[in-house]
Amino acid sequence: MTFEMGPETRQVEAMWDVSTYNYRMDGTGIRLLTEGMKEKKLRGIRCGECGMVYMPGPSYCRKCFVDIDEVVEVKDTGTVMSYCVTMADVRGNPIEEFRISAMIQFDGADTWFVGTVTGVEWQDFKVGMRVKAVWVDEPAGSLSDIDRFEVITD
Amino acid sequence: MRKVAIVGQKQINAADVGKSRERMLFELCRDFYKEMGITRHDIDTFVLCSNDFYSGHTISNVFEDCPVGAYMKDETKVEADGVMAATYAFIRILSGLYDTAVVVASSQGGSVMRPYLQMDYSLNPTYDRQVDLLNEVNAAALQARAYMDEFGVSEEVLDKIAARNLRNAARNPYAFNGKTDVTPADVANSDVLYEPIKAMHCYPFTDGACVLLLAAEDRAKELTDAPVWIKGVGDLLETYYPERDVSRSKSVKSSAERAYKMAGISDPASELDLVEVSAKFSYQEPIICEALGLFPEGSAGDVADRGLADMDSAMPVSPSGGALGAYAFCAGGLVRIAECYRQLTGGAGDTQVADAHTALAHGQDGLFLQHNAVMVVSTEEG
Ligand SMILES: [Zn+2]
Repeated sequence: MTFEMGPETRQVEAMWDVSTYNYRMDGTGIRLLTEGMKEKKLRGIRCGECGMVYMPGPSYCRKCFVDIDEVVEVKDTGTVMSYCVTMADVRGNPIEEFRISAMIQFDGADTWFVGTVTGVEWQDFKVGMRVKAVWVDEPAGSLSDIDRFEVITD
Repeated sequence: MRKVAIVGQKQINAADVGKSRERMLFELCRDFYKEMGITRHDIDTFVLCSNDFYSGHTISNVFEDCPVGAYMKDETKVEADGVMAATYAFIRILSGLYDTAVVVASSQGGSVMRPYLQMDYSLNPTYDRQVDLLNEVNAAALQARAYMDEFGVSEEVLDKIAARNLRNAARNPYAFNGKTDVTPADVANSDVLYEPIKAMHCYPFTDGACVLLLAAEDRAKELTDAPVWIKGVGDLLETYYPERDVSRSKSVKSSAERAYKMAGISDPASELDLVEVSAKFSYQEPIICEALGLFPEGSAGDVADRGLADMDSAMPVSPSGGALGAYAFCAGGLVRIAECYRQLTGGAGDTQVADAHTALAHGQDGLFLQHNAVMVVSTEEG
């Protein structure tokens, strides 16, 4: 038998479908937020030490390392902290119409929220612009109760 | 060389801890730092120990920094067992760059994911996963049979080892799988998973976390009146099965030899007052202990019959109940060190071994006892 020895690389296809995980999360802050959203209200949790308002709130301050439970009202208006013009979905598939994805700091909160802004040409959109949440007609108590944001024009 | 001590421990183990991993870690560390009289700002470096598979996302430490108090602090991660993470923390203090280190190891194999399934993904994807005949438990069965055949050890011996560990665990408040008065016959009657492995030979699926505080000599003495000194370490990895005899563990043997040399131990069986080993399946305990030089090779039957590894014997093995009492991946090995700490500080309650001054903790990772690490700890500053 003759066999040609030497380095050889092969490609082997195998699935990497690990498992279904039953992830757990802290429920309080997200429940506080979504229950308020049924009434088109936003609520966060404030740290008594540093004053940081988280929305949705964790149950402890990530900076101060203390339990937190002070509920505060947050307005549904906010300021654009950053944005990008989105031309593909998160998997990289092209989308039909360009979309503005913005990081928004709601008035009264210190954390940022990513949402879609409509009703404005992307060339005219700027960091620092003021925006307002547009709610769905019948909020059900979920994060998708905020449909999108629009620029405040007054 | 600097002297480094363990100055405190805290742990939680449950079949289902009923909390998110973030909250589990926050509560554990919050309470631990309070008990130690420190804040997060007193900790120079944080060594986390977790695994992307077990967490279900990449960079598993990304949501651990804040709940352990490492926000904007020096932090690193070991993706292996807790003994390896503690070794790394020890080395970081030895470097002189840090005086205090916290080690936190955790996973939620009880509630969030199924450990056996995860372990399959450590198999070689281009060979063993293609052949599709191995998983964690039948790998254990193959290794158990190899050991039993090599040394003429019966299944009853594995039952006796499991029964002793489960009885020990019943006396340990940090273990949840203990079974008071369980007999080898009860173990023998448990479900056969892959013969000769039965359900009660196996570690229980566990949610858990463990935290240790390590400190260099001066800080250690400020933090506690009873430091437990790290005297020696060894950490070695071998292939998981094809190129070796799985009835023995060379990596346990060699890592122990390194640790003994560093600790100045020449006769481990007489110089160690107890050991805490990570035997995830009962058959692993004699393989580990024999490689540690505590008992003659193949002596499992004699050790079991004569009670030579019992809590009140000359060489107590895992008085805490070991991995059969609770075993959260990553945390498992760190818990073994924590148990040695409890023993050497006289705080082990109903599992306390009398006059314990020097102990060894063992941790492992991988299939077929592939990766092993040991740490020798002592109340003697030396
Ligand atoms: Zn704060």
